[in-house]
Amino acid sequence: MAVLELSGLTKRFGAFTALDDISLQIERGEVHCLLGENGAGKSTLCNLVFGVHRPDAGTMTLGGEPFHPRGPAEALQRGVVMVHQHFSLVPNMSVAENLMLGRASAVLKPQDIIVRMEQLAAEYGLEIDPEARIEDLSVGERQRVEIIKCLLGDPQLLVLDEPTAVLQPDEIDALLAICRQVALRGKSVILVTHKLGEISRVADRTTVLRQGRIIETVAMEGADIRSLVRSMVGRDVQSAGSVLAAAVDIEGKTPAKPSSAAGPASPGEAVLKISDLVYRDPHGVPRLDGLSLTVGTGEIVGIAGVEGNGQTELGLILAGLAAPSAGAIVVRGTPVGGRTPQEITDAGVGIVPEDRHAVACIKELSVAENLYLGAIGKFSRFGLLDKSARRKAAEAMMRDFDVRASSPDVSMASLSGGNQQKAVLARELSLDPLVFLLAAQPTRGLDVGAIEAVYNRIRAARDDGLGVLLISSELEELMAVSDRIAVIYRGKLVGELAAGSFSREAIGAMMSGHAHV
Amino acid sequence: MVMKNPKLARVAQGARLELVPLQVVVPVVSTIIALGIGLLIIAATGASVVEAIEAFWDGMAGSDFNIGASINRAISLALVGLGFIFASRANLTNVGGEGQIAMGGMFATAAALHGAGGLPLGLAFIVPLAVGTLAGALWGGLAGVLKAARGTNEVISTLLLSFIALPLVYWSVESFHLLRKPISDVSSLPESAEIPDSTKLPLLFPDNGSPLHIGLLIAAIAVVVVWLVLRHSSLGLRLRAVGLNAMASRRAGMRTSFYVILAMTVSGGLGGLGGAIMILGQQFYLTSDFSSGYGFDGLVVGLLSRGSAVGVVIGALLFGFLRSGSINMEISAHVPSAVVLICQGLIVIVIAGSAILTNRKVTR
Repeated sequence: MAVLELSGLTKRFGAFTALDDISLQIERGEVHCLLGENGAGKSTLCNLVFGVHRPDAGTMTLGGEPFHPRGPAEALQRGVVMVHQHFSLVPNMSVAENLMLGRASAVLKPQDIIVRMEQLAAEYGLEIDPEARIEDLSVGERQRVEIIKCLLGDPQLLVLDEPTAVLQPDEIDALLAICRQVALRGKSVILVTHKLGEISRVADRTTVLRQGRIIETVAMEGADIRSLVRSMVGRDVQSAGSVLAAAVDIEGKTPAKPSSAAGPASPGEAVLKISDLVYRDPHGVPRLDGLSLTVGTGEIVGIAGVEGNGQTELGLILAGLAAPSAGAIVVRGTPVGGRTPQEITDAGVGIVPEDRHAVACIKELSVAENLYLGAIGKFSRFGLLDKSARRKAAEAMMRDFDVRASSPDVSMASLSGGNQQKAVLARELSLDPLVFLLAAQPTRGLDVGAIEAVYNRIRAARDDGLGVLLISSELEELMAVSDRIAVIYRGKLVGELAAGSFSREAIGAMMSGHAHV
Repeated sequence: MVMKNPKLARVAQGARLELVPLQVVVPVVSTIIALGIGLLIIAATGASVVEAIEAFWDGMAGSDFNIGASINRAISLALVGLGFIFASRANLTNVGGEGQIAMGGMFATAAALHGAGGLPLGLAFIVPLAVGTLAGALWGGLAGVLKAARGTNEVISTLLLSFIALPLVYWSVESFHLLRKPISDVSSLPESAEIPDSTKLPLLFPDNGSPLHIGLLIAAIAVVVVWLVLRHSSLGLRLRAVGLNAMASRRAGMRTSFYVILAMTVSGGLGGLGGAIMILGQQFYLTSDFSSGYGFDGLVVGLLSRGSAVGVVIGALLFGFLRSGSINMEISAHVPSAVVLICQGLIVIVIAGSAILTNRKVTR
């Protein structure tokens, strides 16, 4: 029996149609995944159900009754709850206090809340200390508080908008388990995601959205992940190796190594040698604490770790935007630690920075200007710019790297995230000389097609003999692309696995500081 | 409303293209509106509106002399405005035009009085101009160094440097051992002696009595150079990049501190040149308040131009003529000077407000 029934739902923002004639039924007791690329309309659909937006056309029924919430308050009252990507918790209050917020009763009864929390802990495994302050909790625990807040009122339908984007692997496992528990108790769950692996693990049915339309709704038993990807992207992802490998082989062991022309090259001499790198932030807190690492020619070394364990600082130091407190970094015999970005570039280092908007490009400038940001003088005669020569060179580079924009003169901001990242890669991989590439969180916020393009570029660079350091918080990504994975924990490398022996569980344990290999 | 019919949409677009560009229409219309409101205020003060308008027009452009004087005013305003847009290309706001004018005028006077007068081949006025430019550049560059080294907000530092420069001028014309003219003179106001004739800027039309001097050519060259640098040079692109995103510019190999200091130095230098031209072109001796708000008017000119060198020219001419007109209105039609200032303020507010309107259309 359907809990929620949508028919002919349409939502426009100005001239843009975000959702077009959506008809969908959510059954009682099912986990229903909404899958789609960025901008496909997943979040808009959630917001309609939760009453944040109101549809321009179409009807909704909830438990057989007409359902047209005029705001989240009405949706909540009808038993629809939602966990947003950004949490709404008061950081300096305790868990119990946060849970009492918004319970509109004049007399607060902390004891009742704690009793209810114990019930939920027993039912769903949602363990959390009621007295803990929110600001002391990890992201995963905060999300758990949000879910508890939702379940307190015994809702019919739980909507989770990209809940796993912020979590580390074991937290994702726990969350997906909770989703199943919620569904087992006869409630329904809508889970928004663009991670294919999660769908195959948790969903009963999946609806694929593309450009505001439903492409298909499929039952997951016996479903083909490949066809889901096709529906989601709208075309065959060429050599879809890694994305699919990561999705299908989510359970871990050994992902199918994508075959590239040269195959995973055997690493040669060291291009990058980091020894005993120490970095203390301006407050004197050590962010990197004696990190040593070698990257050889023709190999991709992945750095896995929960965010905030020194990856960002490592990226900044390699880019020349922060000076190490101690230790040495040598690229092909040239010391680069604490040198200027220009000196580092001259040593043959390409950098794809973690923060695309703050460091990698200047979004107000044109694509051509961004492609030659480090070589402005190259198209300059007597100090005046030769814009037509630069445009021609930029057009060629955009063709080579498949950067899609109507012209090299449009602003960087008008490009999709994927095309921005391809432009950054184009610039960094066109450096001459080039012996080493740092790619920090290179696929963050990109859709499947762009992710594939980025992987292919990185692999091609490796096959050309470059040493590549890949810093990522996506374990699947690291396992799909790296030849070797080192795990960073509290500013140190705590373990290393070679290709063929990657294990989700082992890496996850090292990431949380529990194990040492 | 969305135009469904492509033909209709084309017609609508064509109709808009036929009109004079909005960027021109809006400031003109808004100036007229502001002047209209100004006239209402003048009427409210009891002065004769007709008389006021006559005096205003006469002061602006009533004679060759008045036209020349108006353009001379515009020259200094344009230089300060150019300095403003130069710094703002690097996302820096130089509000210290007044202090940079003061430094430029003071040092140009000193150079003209002490040594430059006897130089041959036009060096007699070129050297004081250069000295004034350098003094302004130093004053602006100081704010750039503070910004680059310590992150001091340049709005605050340039403003405070102005508060230092203005009393320095006052001190220099108060002190006999500095620039005050000798006591032997009949009147002994706190001002410098007149600069030697050889150091005064040559007039463009010496025969018809117009005070218009070669500062016009200097300003014209400055307009072209600033336009080229900001719009078409690699330096302009680097300034823009540093101003938009210092971190990304650093990563791309630019020395961001250098460009911050450079932008402020050039910006201050243009202000200093403006101050030097005021002394050498029209005033001929230094008084404690010779800059009399030109720095702030020039700042407004720069703001209203929205980064365009052509906009600076238009704005500077507008303000130059308005200033001449309002001075005469105060003298001949006895309109209180406060009312004149109110009218100027109104124009600024209306133009700045209408800029929001055109901006919105342009970004669409």
